[in-house]
Amino acid sequence: MHVRWLIPLGAAVASPVALATQYLSVPQAQQEAFPGAGEFRAVPVPDAAALAAVGVPAGWAPQIFEADASGKKLGWLIVDQVIGKSEAITYALALDTAGAVISLEVLEYRESHGGEVRMPAWRKQFVGKTAADAAALNREIKIISGATLSCRHLTEGVQRLLRLYALALRAPA
Amino acid sequence: MQRKPLALAVLLSCAGLAPAAHADEAKLKAEVEALRAEVAELRGVVREMQAQRAPAPASPVVATPAASTGVAVAPAAAVAAAPAATTAAGQPVPGTGGSGVALGANTSFWGYGQLDYNRPTARAADAQADLTRAVIGFNHVFDEATRVYGEIEWEHAIASSSDQGETEIEQLYVEHALAQNYGVRVGLTLVPLGLLNEHHEPSNFYGVERNFVETAIIPSTWREGGVSMYGNTDWGFNWNVGIGTGPNLGAWDPAADEGRISPLGSIHQELQLAKARDPSVYAAGNWQGIPGLLVGGGVFTGKIGQGDATLPVDKSRLVLGEAHLRWQPGPFDISALYTRGTISNTQDLNLQFLGQPTPVPKSFWGGYVQGAWRALEWGSDSSLAPFLRYEMFNTGASYAAQPLGLGTAPLPTQHVWTLGANYYLNPNVVFKVDYQKFRYEDLVLGYGDRFDLGLGYQF
Repeated sequence: MHVRWLIPLGAAVASPVALATQYLSVPQAQQEAFPGAGEFRAVPVPDAAALAAVGVPAGWAPQIFEADASGKKLGWLIVDQVIGKSEAITYALALDTAGAVISLEVLEYRESHGGEVRMPAWRKQFVGKTAADAAALNREIKIISGATLSCRHLTEGVQRLLRLYALALRAPA
Repeated sequence: MQRKPLALAVLLSCAGLAPAAHADEAKLKAEVEALRAEVAELRGVVREMQAQRAPAPASPVVATPAASTGVAVAPAAAVAAAPAATTAAGQPVPGTGGSGVALGANTSFWGYGQLDYNRPTARAADAQADLTRAVIGFNHVFDEATRVYGEIEWEHAIASSSDQGETEIEQLYVEHALAQNYGVRVGLTLVPLGLLNEHHEPSNFYGVERNFVETAIIPSTWREGGVSMYGNTDWGFNWNVGIGTGPNLGAWDPAADEGRISPLGSIHQELQLAKARDPSVYAAGNWQGIPGLLVGGGVFTGKIGQGDATLPVDKSRLVLGEAHLRWQPGPFDISALYTRGTISNTQDLNLQFLGQPTPVPKSFWGGYVQGAWRALEWGSDSSLAPFLRYEMFNTGASYAAQPLGLGTAPLPTQHVWTLGANYYLNPNVVFKVDYQKFRYEDLVLGYGDRFDLGLGYQF
């Protein structure tokens, strides 16, 4: 009677191992956010003065890509990392040409708990937000119970990238 | 593989030497010198190829300069190899939380702690201050699919033969991801019942002390040894099923009060030389498809006699079920939980315990509703959240029928109101204050109106 409980668990252990933490590669995130883009140009990280204005020290090094289609700019994809509880979460924020969030994707998640931040329903809360909304995001984004730190720190990461857009990527008026 | 160009060069050299065997010695020497020069040149080429094939040194995530080279995509591996949100100097970037401390690329540790002050309003002489717990946790990643995760806890400041403190391993398991959304854990894991047991850090709950229902009925922190599987779906459903050790009814002490304070808390084994003849199983699920909403529940069941030959416990089975809900709209945080447990076939066992103060209950239950409000905020980190909680619970709601005159009356149901506030200096440091009002007082079981102060932290 007791042995039968072990059968499904044993079968599962025998399953082939897959990469557990990488959900999307950077190229996949680029294509998902900008399916019509023909080119993703890497953009240099802003200088130390701009980073200081964003509120981070020099040395912070997100990957910034400009998405283009036939010479027309579609927006930006920025790949960055935040700490969840004790491990890094790699995420990608896609912004349109007006600086509004197109999507937030979790590329890699390494924590043992709190992976619920990958849920589409939670990430959708950021869609349409702009730098003008950044300050209020802590209040507006609903937290997932049990994934409090991951939610909070990803929200802070998005705020930082929205500030980065406003200070360094947005075309001068 | 990188030696292939060299081998090719040697073969070519040999081919070149064959006709030279017919030439005079001087010419032969000249040709040998020429070949030596060619080999030296080929060695240089091979070194260059080796240098190109070698992985680039680890570097922070740096976007390459803008260039009109078409699709310029940094490989994902560059992101994976980068230090976790750190500056070139290795310091956490502000705004990334800063929880946990990295010890090299694959290991990190963290911790939490709780200090309490309890002052019964009617008996100031019983006021008590305690370093309730200090915990150090660690996480070591072996590869992209496998990790070991553990927590070591010290309770009540000092653990020695002459003190009341304890040192314990609260969690210790190896986790192996079988796919992106499910995996297996083997070791000592937390039982995934209720809102508190898996998320018991002091910054995660309101009030100085953990609530009574998730202490007396679901005995937090409840952990068992065994094998479990976990997983989640894109539509917000998380599940966890497991098989492993369970409580040991043979360890029930009818002369002690612990069984009335927490029936399962008095017989759970915590994987300390655990008697393990009878495995228990559990299944739990949570749905979080709407941000801010959590609906879930779980069941734990198993025979808990564990082969004890001295007591009639062989047929006894524990079933504990619970359902919970948490809703966090805006600044509000509302939660509710109900749980009920039964232990079967306790009649013969309790007959042996006649005259003792603590027979084994047939059923025990509890429930609470709680509302909190993040009323004040200072900046993005500090906040004040008053809360109100109402609990009902009974650790001995019924007992197995006995011959006339020998039965045990159910315990009275306890009702507790808790009014207080959590002040978060930052999300990881919380000061707490509350007042608890009990329907009836029982000094033995720790029931009595009291005023509490607390400090909690986690990193």
